[in-house]
Amino acid sequence: MPRIDAHLHVFTKASAEFPRETPDIWPAEREEPVEKLLGEMEKHRIDQAVLVQMAGASIANHRYLLRCLKEYPNRFLGIGLVPEGHPNPAEHMAELTDNTGIIGFRFSTFGGPRDIFAKMDVREFAAYPIWKCAAERDYVLWLYPNAISAHLLPYLIQEFPQVRVVLNHLAACPGKGKFSWDEFGRPQVQVTGYNLFMHTTYRLARFENVNVHLSGQYAFSREEFPYKDLAGWHHGLLGGFGAKRLMWATDFPWILEEPGYGKLTTVIEELLPGLSEAELADIMGGNAKRILRFPDL
Amino acid sequence: MILPTLEQKAQWEEEGYLVFENAIQGEDLKQLQNAFDYWADACKAEWLDRVEAGEAAATFYDIPNPLEKDPIFIDIIDYPSYYGALMAFTDHELILLGPQVRTVAPWPVSYTGWHPDVGYDNPLHIKVQIYVNDVEPGGGEFGFVPGSHKPGSGPYTRPMRQESMTGHKTFPGKAGTAIMFNSCGWHVSMDNHSDTPRKSIILIYEKRTPGRIGPQQFASISEYCKTPERRKLFSLDD
Repeated sequence: MPRIDAHLHVFTKASAEFPRETPDIWPAEREEPVEKLLGEMEKHRIDQAVLVQMAGASIANHRYLLRCLKEYPNRFLGIGLVPEGHPNPAEHMAELTDNTGIIGFRFSTFGGPRDIFAKMDVREFAAYPIWKCAAERDYVLWLYPNAISAHLLPYLIQEFPQVRVVLNHLAACPGKGKFSWDEFGRPQVQVTGYNLFMHTTYRLARFENVNVHLSGQYAFSREEFPYKDLAGWHHGLLGGFGAKRLMWATDFPWILEEPGYGKLTTVIEELLPGLSEAELADIMGGNAKRILRFPDL
Repeated sequence: MILPTLEQKAQWEEEGYLVFENAIQGEDLKQLQNAFDYWADACKAEWLDRVEAGEAAATFYDIPNPLEKDPIFIDIIDYPSYYGALMAFTDHELILLGPQVRTVAPWPVSYTGWHPDVGYDNPLHIKVQIYVNDVEPGGGEFGFVPGSHKPGSGPYTRPMRQESMTGHKTFPGKAGTAIMFNSCGWHVSMDNHSDTPRKSIILIYEKRTPGRIGPQQFASISEYCKTPERRKLFSLDD
């Protein structure tokens, strides 16, 4: 069974060949190239990975991702971005998925009512055309919902049960104003002590097409690796979704300095010590291979 | 104080729940509904802001500090129709842990899965859920597995769908119905596929143990707690 890192990022220096956004945290001269990732994967016996676009949603911003996918077609699959308010998202998605290795797109909002008590007409959601397109073209939807958007998800999932959905980073839904960067250059998301996600995204376990990443622990934990304070989250997700719908990921490169790539390859054993060998193998790659349809090596 | 009948006592022991139809009615019920609606409306905008900030769940909301908002929320804590049963089952050592004055939105799935609240080693832990509006089948009604409060029952596992829980019973009911249950038992809010939010109040009690609730917890409503019984119930003299 392959070992697959199901969510990470690579980027190169900003250039005319590979234009990208250049916020303070990843300025123009910073690079975390695919070769560096491959070195870590080799060292820690990880076979394949999902490269998730960052630093811009335009077609041009995806050039480095596309190059990596083209160069290593058996090692990587890609997840793209769609510019917010794009007038023709279907066209944008089609262009990025034309035999490129990009299999889906990442979103955090869905454009429906902010208030769960409002009348819900899923066809009125801004994201409806994107989901419809995903259903028609078999794209995977890679979701990291804002806290105020999470309640909209089951309406879309019900409407499009054929769409493969992957909830990122422990099915968490970051709150507005709760996002920051720590001294190791890692995203930090402030969450409440009581796990609110069990009343929203965890409830989506009912839908068989919904899967969850076991990743991003560093961003939510108040402890150092192995983030034992999140063991309850992991058990909750395992209990709800089962071992066949969970996927391990590192969120490279943010974790390179702390705790390091190698340690994160053991985080599932640390937090879910009761898993059988087969369940662990599923979470560490078997599920990603099956759900995302990774090519055989 | 209305003490439980022998039949009610037997059902409580064997099945872990009791239903009090029309527990609250008439003017008291109207007053409760009015207070509920007024404060739910008044608190909603702040709740939505907290949802956006990731500080509150999006699928239900509770009126904050309800005991301080209207005396009717205090009066239902020791309401005669079920208070006697609470006292009898706790050997007159009843304390309030807190109320949840809760509005649950219609949603494709329930906001919670089947669960017990406490383990069998916890002091007797009792909840009373009072429907503030009529709750039809499929409207987020309470569900309970009779007998699951007993050590040695089960084992129980949480099913993917609420209605798949082995041996469960659901409790639709009219406004004013109170359902008392042993919180060791497996329970849930069923899916609400209606277009009506479920409005209910969940009162949480426990058999007294030293220091469980300090005198400051409910000090803000001390003026409404003049009798020794109430002061004991709200742990005001501990």
